[in-house]
Amino acid sequence: MKDKLLMIVFVLVLGSILTASLLAVNDYTNPIIQTNNLRTVKSSILVAFGIPFNEENLDDIFSKNVKEELKGAATLYYSKTGDVAFEIAGSGLWGPIEGVLSLKHNLKTIKNLVIIHQEETPGLGGRISEKEFLNRFKGKAIYPKLEIVAPGKALNDNQVDGITGATMSGKALEALLNSEIKKYTSVLSEDTGQ
Amino acid sequence: MSIKNSEAYQTLANGLWRDHPIFSMVLGICSALAVSNKVENAIAMGAGVTFVLVATAIIISLLRSLIPMRVRIITFMIVISTFVIIVDRFLKAFFPSISTAIGPYVGLIITNCIIMGRAEAFYIQNKPSLSIIDAFANGIGYTYTLVTIAAIREVLGFGTLMGFRVMPAGWTNWVIMSMAPGAFFILSVFIWLTRTIAKIESP
Repeated sequence: MKDKLLMIVFVLVLGSILTASLLAVNDYTNPIIQTNNLRTVKSSILVAFGIPFNEENLDDIFSKNVKEELKGAATLYYSKTGDVAFEIAGSGLWGPIEGVLSLKHNLKTIKNLVIIHQEETPGLGGRISEKEFLNRFKGKAIYPKLEIVAPGKALNDNQVDGITGATMSGKALEALLNSEIKKYTSVLSEDTGQ
Repeated sequence: MSIKNSEAYQTLANGLWRDHPIFSMVLGICSALAVSNKVENAIAMGAGVTFVLVATAIIISLLRSLIPMRVRIITFMIVISTFVIIVDRFLKAFFPSISTAIGPYVGLIITNCIIMGRAEAFYIQNKPSLSIIDAFANGIGYTYTLVTIAAIREVLGFGTLMGFRVMPAGWTNWVIMSMAPGAFFILSVFIWLTRTIAKIESP
């Protein structure tokens, strides 16, 4: 009986000490992690607007060039030239995809696309975060809807060349982009209607 | 008594070569396969595992006479998870890019058999000084394996080493090297070669 009691006391005491140390670590790192996440979003928005910056002047450049607006549940970012950007998120083929999409001020064509996070197959679907692929989105029309087609088959303004061997990741990205575009453009059109 | 016969030297040699965690004990294979696609990630993973090993060795060997035998496994488990969470938070806060790259595998250090295996086989029976040497040797043994495999996979699969381009411009990346099958090929060749050199007989 005494053994069992000792056992329970030991596990409880050790557990409490370790939990306390974890709480301390969490308290210490949490603000730094949140700043990191915020910086990632900020730098992605600047890249999406094509505004040059470096690690040191990121916050400065961001506050000077970007205006943040809350519309209902959606956060919109405006550049000085009237371009608009928003965060996008959804599921890819294997895991979540997160990024930032910016539209030109006519709200009909894409300015730029940035991928912050993706878990697609390295070397295949994973190439959706490569600059060479993302550049293909520049100037594409979002109406009637964005399409990612087989490589070399993009003929119309709303079609983007996909990646060989990554058809499914391309399809997932296409669905994600279209649903996010729909969500944010509806917010934007409400705005102009007022 | 010569250095070669001292307990400390024996412990170090065991971890680094004779009882090497990967090719001799064949532990920790899961993360060795998953995180060996780029040298940078391999170093970060190796450092993480080494830190958790050493920290676990200190705590377990200090508490070894206090830990009731019937709850020793759960004790290892909570000690290991605590340090793994600390590593994860530390990477997220100070090395966000590496944290994104190896993301879920940091959490999986908890299930890395090397740590559990060494705690059960060594730290629970030995004094802290020897346990720390053992933890360090096993951590380095694990790290150099990961880095070796990662160097081969990164050069062939991405044409780079530590992010710098090493292959000529016309080089076609061997995509398979950056994916799971490439890891299986290289790791098996590594284990085959090292076991042959170390003259380890299959049971």
